[in-house]
Amino acid sequence: MLRPTLNELISGMQRTIIEALMPELTSPYAQNQAISAIGMLTHAAAVLDAAPAYDAAEIKDLRATFGAIKRLGDKHLSKKSGLRGALARATRASVRTPPERRALEAAMAEFATAVALGRADERVARHIRGYIGRHLERSRILLGGTLPSA
Amino acid sequence: MPHASEHRVVGLKRISGGSSRETYAFELEWIEGGEKRRRPMIGRRDPTGGLLKSDREREFKVIDAMHRAGLKVPEPLFLELDASVMDRPFFIMERAAGQTGMGAFPAAEAESTRIKVAEDFISELVRLQSLDYREYGLEILGAPKNLEEPARIQTAHWNGLYESDRMGEHYPILTAAFAWLKANPVVSDRIVIVHGDYRSGNYLYDENGIIAMLDWEMAHLGDPMEDLGWASMLFWGRDEFAGGLLEREEFYHLYEDKSGHPIDRKRLFFYQVLGNAKMAVICLTGIRDFVERRTSDAVMPFLELLLPQLLGDLASQLRLV
Repeated sequence: MLRPTLNELISGMQRTIIEALMPELTSPYAQNQAISAIGMLTHAAAVLDAAPAYDAAEIKDLRATFGAIKRLGDKHLSKKSGLRGALARATRASVRTPPERRALEAAMAEFATAVALGRADERVARHIRGYIGRHLERSRILLGGTLPSA
Repeated sequence: MPHASEHRVVGLKRISGGSSRETYAFELEWIEGGEKRRRPMIGRRDPTGGLLKSDREREFKVIDAMHRAGLKVPEPLFLELDASVMDRPFFIMERAAGQTGMGAFPAAEAESTRIKVAEDFISELVRLQSLDYREYGLEILGAPKNLEEPARIQTAHWNGLYESDRMGEHYPILTAAFAWLKANPVVSDRIVIVHGDYRSGNYLYDENGIIAMLDWEMAHLGDPMEDLGWASMLFWGRDEFAGGLLEREEFYHLYEDKSGHPIDRKRLFFYQVLGNAKMAVICLTGIRDFVERRTSDAVMPFLELLLPQLLGDLASQLRLV
């Protein structure tokens, strides 16, 4: 293993800011920026650890959601809703290696729009709402924080 | 200052806040009529990047109009559009006293202060909305041609910024929100001056109430429900307290009492949805400018942390959860 590790480097950068830089900073603005930079590094360390699992969970959930909608059959996707095309694009993106996250999210945007506009079948809408709820919960766990004081 | 001489800038320091401009505090000293004068000032210079793309001349003219109208704003003093003077255009205004916060009115403040600030907050909004923009030369803000335009103009503006600043990413809830806004436009009952960022965190206050409303760079002409919707969004609040000031229904009733206009709940809801979408787009703009190196402000990357709440609020409003 290479040492220092990425997390050890980040921790070292934070110490450098706190112990070497901050005592020399006299401007309150510069001090606030330094505090924010320390927070940024803390966030970076957390995201480095958690982001791969977050991305994997997102892709798995998107594929599963579109898979479940596909199993409902075309009768739940009216032609005029345009959702059949979105589902076809999502299905293609799902089977690629690796799956195309942006294409899956673009298809989800079309489905979410249909739900918001009341143009989606209720059984389809239930799957979309389920995904959005889980997506928001994962985002809160990954990012759940507040702005540093500035 | 035609009769002044020997101007001297003392104690210049950059201060945090007002992320759409670089903000500096200083004391200006000068000689006038043989006497030495001194006044605290704020300088606002265009940023290299940041949360908003706005026009400083327009902002200066709006603050000047508000000052002439007797609203609680800092006195605007000088505008310099020549970028050769200080690298970028800037303007200088009076430095008002008082304190501010970042978001909801602080829960730790005395109740008497909270009530006075809440009263002033609504009174100033009502006064702003009662002004005739033509009387103050604010046609420059672009008057909507009819009462249907305000909702459409604002939706198109923020949707355009979403498309340009999302950096190729898809935010399904935000996409759905803009589609909903386009499909459910509301019609205003009149055209008023809209502050554009009227909320807790954008005023200076003390124990006697609000001293000055700040950050007029998003001012435009539009629907009176826009500022009310923005100010009462859950995002700026604390529990059921709109803006951390008053319980939401009490907040609405106070507005109705002071303005004499009943609140159209459908329009209010529309502008609360637009407000959440707009704030999410402002975050994306700040993130993009940081990623693309137009700003080095270390606060910008943290805007990402605000997205779960904003998108969660939008999802609830649009019944996406």
